[in-house]
Amino acid sequence: MLSRRAWMGGAGAALALGLLPGRSEAAPLAKVKALGTLRVVVYKDNRPWSWEEGGKLVGLDVDLAQAIAGKLGVRADVAELVADESADDDLRNGVWKGGLLGFTPGDVMLHVPFDRSFAARNDQVAIVAPYYRESFALAGLGGAVPLEGMPTEWRGRRLAAELDSIPDFYLIGSFGGVLTKDVAHYPTGSAAVDAVTGGKADAVLASRAQIEEGLHRAGERASRIALRKGPLPAFTSPGWDIGMAVKENSRTLGDAVEEITTTMATNGEMKALFARYGVTWTPANAAG
Amino acid sequence: MKGPIMRALSGVAAMTLAMGAAPLVAQGPTDADLMNDAKSTGDVLTYGMGPQAHRFSTLNAINSGNVSKMVPAFSASLGGEKQRGQEAQPIVYDGIIYVTGSYSRLFAFDARTGEEKWQYDARLPDGIMPCCDVVNRGAAIHGDKIIFATLDARLVALNRLTGKVIWNKQIADYKEGYSATAAPLIVRGMVITGNSGGEFGVVGAVDARDVNTGELIWHRPVIEGHMGTLKGQDNGVTGKLNATWQGDLWKSGGGATWLGGTYDPDTNLLFFGTGNPAPWNSHLRPGDNLYTASTLAIDPETGVIKWHYQTTPHDGWDFDGVNEFIPFDATINGKPMKLGAKADRNGYFFVLDRTNGKFISANKFVMQTTWANGFNKAGKPNVIPEGRPPAPGEGKGKSVFASPSFLGGKNWMPMAYSQDTGLFYIPSNDWGMDIWNEPIAYKKGAAYLGAGFTIKSIAEDHIGALRAMDPKTGKIVWEYKNKAPLWGGVLSTGGNLVFTGTPEGYLKAFDAKTGQELWKFQTGSGVVGSPVTWEQDGEQYVAVMSGWGGAVPLWGGEVAKSFKDINQGGALWVFKLPK
Repeated sequence: MLSRRAWMGGAGAALALGLLPGRSEAAPLAKVKALGTLRVVVYKDNRPWSWEEGGKLVGLDVDLAQAIAGKLGVRADVAELVADESADDDLRNGVWKGGLLGFTPGDVMLHVPFDRSFAARNDQVAIVAPYYRESFALAGLGGAVPLEGMPTEWRGRRLAAELDSIPDFYLIGSFGGVLTKDVAHYPTGSAAVDAVTGGKADAVLASRAQIEEGLHRAGERASRIALRKGPLPAFTSPGWDIGMAVKENSRTLGDAVEEITTTMATNGEMKALFARYGVTWTPANAAG
Repeated sequence: MKGPIMRALSGVAAMTLAMGAAPLVAQGPTDADLMNDAKSTGDVLTYGMGPQAHRFSTLNAINSGNVSKMVPAFSASLGGEKQRGQEAQPIVYDGIIYVTGSYSRLFAFDARTGEEKWQYDARLPDGIMPCCDVVNRGAAIHGDKIIFATLDARLVALNRLTGKVIWNKQIADYKEGYSATAAPLIVRGMVITGNSGGEFGVVGAVDARDVNTGELIWHRPVIEGHMGTLKGQDNGVTGKLNATWQGDLWKSGGGATWLGGTYDPDTNLLFFGTGNPAPWNSHLRPGDNLYTASTLAIDPETGVIKWHYQTTPHDGWDFDGVNEFIPFDATINGKPMKLGAKADRNGYFFVLDRTNGKFISANKFVMQTTWANGFNKAGKPNVIPEGRPPAPGEGKGKSVFASPSFLGGKNWMPMAYSQDTGLFYIPSNDWGMDIWNEPIAYKKGAAYLGAGFTIKSIAEDHIGALRAMDPKTGKIVWEYKNKAPLWGGVLSTGGNLVFTGTPEGYLKAFDAKTGQELWKFQTGSGVVGSPVTWEQDGEQYVAVMSGWGGAVPLWGGEVAKSFKDINQGGALWVFKLPK
């Protein structure tokens, strides 16, 4: 059953069948304030968004969770969720039902794709507050790799990508698979970026945030590494917005959170929050 | 001549020593008892009712003439709120029935009354993500220990009389996506296990551990390029690096051995099936991808692979190859042969020469196989290219129909082999799937190229079918059709009977020669466990677990209509004839 991770239809089917009945009452805004705690779900091991360092949870999403809780006048209880086979499953585990092994759902979950079709098939939650535009980018040692060239020119170079990701499929699957033998696989996009800054690879295809944070952290060692400016030929992902999810019946909380992120976007707080990690804040398309 | 005699003598010496030491340890089943399990009718000591897993008992007190009178002796609940799929096979020894339950629990019930003696609940971390329900398929018994695997990829040995932990070992890291649900196999004082896991990056392996301590003896990864170990030392690479894999994909090649294995004392070989390759989309990994979707014969002393046979080369359908390989002897074309049989997820029933893995035959045991049109004499499938799911990014929106569906012509549920009729009884399913590229997919909050699928019925009147297969001719001798998919194991007996359960909640008995249904009993929830039989106080007993769940309700698609009214449960049911 290994490939269950590669399927995404099944979870939707399970939801549609109503085999996984809803459980707890929502914790809308008033309840959160009364309890004095906002439980925020972030992904486990998702640098630069949320990861553990020195026994502490850090990252863009963790800081954002703290900022939102602070503005609501409550304490943030940030919980790490192990990603399941699809983001659809994650909404079930993290927001509206809880995990099979007892994971308590959050009041709000961060890093949720803000996409009309995705939202339509996950009607147990409300997806709100789009706060960033994700996209993939290529970075590499300027001298070693013709960064602006055709991918076929990267033959024989050391390429890095996260296992089982769109960058992975692009590099090993496109152009007749001519680059397959050149791709080294890493457990995360961030680790693939570190391979380049650490001299183990010549170029990496990863998310822009992963690349920017990795280069920022490498400091001087990253000085020769540049990002490709032109689009990648036949690359299918135009990027996607990320937002937050609350239970379908927690819209009061959703509205409050959306108001906070909108303010943070306009008053420069969001930009500053991202800048601390070396990441250029890019507003979501949907935030218009 | 000197060599064998010397070895035989030293064997005797070792036996004497072991026997001399025996009174010091709590008594219980020995290695020899486990090897003799198929013949000892007063107990059920191994998963499969014998290391060869024939699931056949010579008992005939309950038979096709009187089974219609069979009644429950008692039932025992697993209790609590943790009622999900109960896929276990009971172990019966010394007046105790041992069963494992959902959420990695182990129970000891009095075999005469059903009263609970003790219960062990594994403390599971909440970060585990079991792919296909929180099932467990059974325990293994040896000496004073009862041993089972847990969802967080640990192996736990308990004192069989008290339920107290003797040892508890991690067999893989659950944080890397590993899990364990299969019943362990015990051979020559070693606990032999496979591994399971849903995460991309998992590599299948077979491990042997000391039954007394849980310490690793050998480790054998099943993907070419990975180094095996024996007693902490390197012990040779599996296969040949990059022979059938490109780039570094072998490092995360899949092949999880999630269903465990069988052992043949006759050839002294372990047989383990391996899972599907990763990544899922086959277009990204050209080549046969050895040894995924294969049966491996492994030397129990060293963990070295003696032969392999790949049932689905370059698997692109998630067929896996984990199904049990059952050793049996038969005369083929006038020649007595040592054979083995496997009913594969891919819809074909394979017969191989178990001494060397040579292909003898492959015959369809399901209604339809869209991926291949039979096998050639060399044992390679005649692949139908249009039946392969599309490459990512290609044919967006275009759907391919594939049959069997990825849940397989036969999934985990074990078949039985009757030494009386010479037939294999296969719990099979007739179903297909539509599969397409799903452009709007997300994983861990990031855009992803997923596949959408829906499982579909292919017959009006059934999905499940219990089929009697003649391994010599490849012909189906009889079949019993069931509306819902079959998901439980099979038992055959010397009483001309075949038993299996249904999701509708029945345990059923059939005439082994004709397939005529002779008896059924409603257990109150779906039956997805494997039945057993034994003799106790001069009477024959039959036991099975009841409790609906497993992968079908999670992935059922439109076939879910066939089981939408089935309730969850968790109970052991024991039957006998009235006095």
